Amino acid sequence: MQDEALSEAARAFRGRSVVSANDFTRADILAVLEAAGAFEGRAGGPGSTPQEPRLPGRVLGLLFFEPSTRTRLSFESAMLRLGGSVLGFADARVSSFSKGETLNDTIRVVAGYCDAIVLRHPNEGSARLAAEVSTIPVINGGDGSNQHPTQTLLDLYTIKKAMGRLDDLRVGFMGDLRYGRTVHSLAAALLHFDVKLSFIGPPSLKLPPDLRLEIEEAGRLGIEVESLDEVEDLDVLYITRIQKERFPDPVEYERVRASYRVDREALLPLGPELKIMHPLPRVNEVAPDVDTLPGAIYFQQTRNGVTVRMALLDLILGGGA
Amino acid sequence: MTIPRDFRLVDGTVIDHLPVGTAARALELLRLPREGPVTIGMNVPSSRHDKKDIIRVEGMVLEKRELDRLALLGEHVTVSIVQAGKVVDKIRLEVPKRLRGILTCTNPTCVTNNEPVQTVFERLGRYPFRFRCTYCERVLTL
Ligand SMILES: [Zn+2]
Repeated sequence: MQDEALSEAARAFRGRSVVSANDFTRADILAVLEAAGAFEGRAGGPGSTPQEPRLPGRVLGLLFFEPSTRTRLSFESAMLRLGGSVLGFADARVSSFSKGETLNDTIRVVAGYCDAIVLRHPNEGSARLAAEVSTIPVINGGDGSNQHPTQTLLDLYTIKKAMGRLDDLRVGFMGDLRYGRTVHSLAAALLHFDVKLSFIGPPSLKLPPDLRLEIEEAGRLGIEVESLDEVEDLDVLYITRIQKERFPDPVEYERVRASYRVDREALLPLGPELKIMHPLPRVNEVAPDVDTLPGAIYFQQTRNGVTVRMALLDLILGGGA
Repeated sequence: MTIPRDFRLVDGTVIDHLPVGTAARALELLRLPREGPVTIGMNVPSSRHDKKDIIRVEGMVLEKRELDRLALLGEHVTVSIVQAGKVVDKIRLEVPKRLRGILTCTNPTCVTNNEPVQTVFERLGRYPFRFRCTYCERVLTL
């Protein structure tokens, strides 16, 4: 893609809300990933250099109507590293702020206190609604089981960083393909690129038919199998958690869970180049002996979350402008 | 009011080319009968399509909102306005690309079912009609 198109896409993020990965164009994705590259090595961790303040005096409101410590800390870290500050609440149950008030009113009020809002809310569509009524940009930090666009961006960034590209890739998704929000958003976002997507999961947790059709119609559908043994060539394996509450029968849950657990041995046939991702937290679907494989990049993946969120906040709030 | 023997309308509305089996749903949507007589034809042979349902309502003109709901029943539904026994206007119903406040989201945790906000659905393709809730992004098939 041409540099001009990319910088235009980057400029278009100024003042914009980020609600759903489905709103992103290919240029949007590449613009954020390129911006993130500039913050590489400035998001903390060993060997990191401090970022010079780009958003001094700017305030990010963090409205977490349900707790998500990782997402909140990641956004906080990103904003603080850019020289800005944060305010908000971590759990609506212990905050008196929103008691009985409509989301509409809460957003309008908080929009008077800060420059952008990160919203985490149990109701699907809450971020879209918030973005409609807000006078300042709203970033969706997860709306129920629907979207978590910054997770999708950090997943894409992790793949790009590990593979050096987003085109010409074979990506496999394993685990809960039916309810896994991260799977749906990432798979849909990858359709902007030349990829083959394969799916490994139990029959009861297959991809939603609409998404499956979309992937098939795009000519990007690889294989759909029940076991990792049936998969031959993959560049990236994205593993997700299989949740207990999806199974009415606890025996069935234990059986499925046991058969979707990967360890070193199970990954051996896929070769040493395979990159292994997981949105974390994991329960036991990835054995600890996988952690030391060179392709295990799930801890880098979470770390990339800060880098990508720095880039997004910088684009939206016009850092350095 | 005198009703002609063949149930032809004098003044009123004919809802035609309803897919077979949807007449009952149409009556429900329009809360019929109201005041005037209503005649219902089901499984009626049709020249244009295989078979159809048809409803004739004496003395009633439909509102835009009612037409939008009726349009969801099938892709060929027509509505004719009859005055003094003659058809003065005939429209083929179209399903709008965006439906505001007409459908209810089937997802109980959708924000539209939990906050005071009107639903907005986007039509995906043509018949059979599928709609995406612009809030929770779930797809609804009618
Ligand atoms: Zn909805």
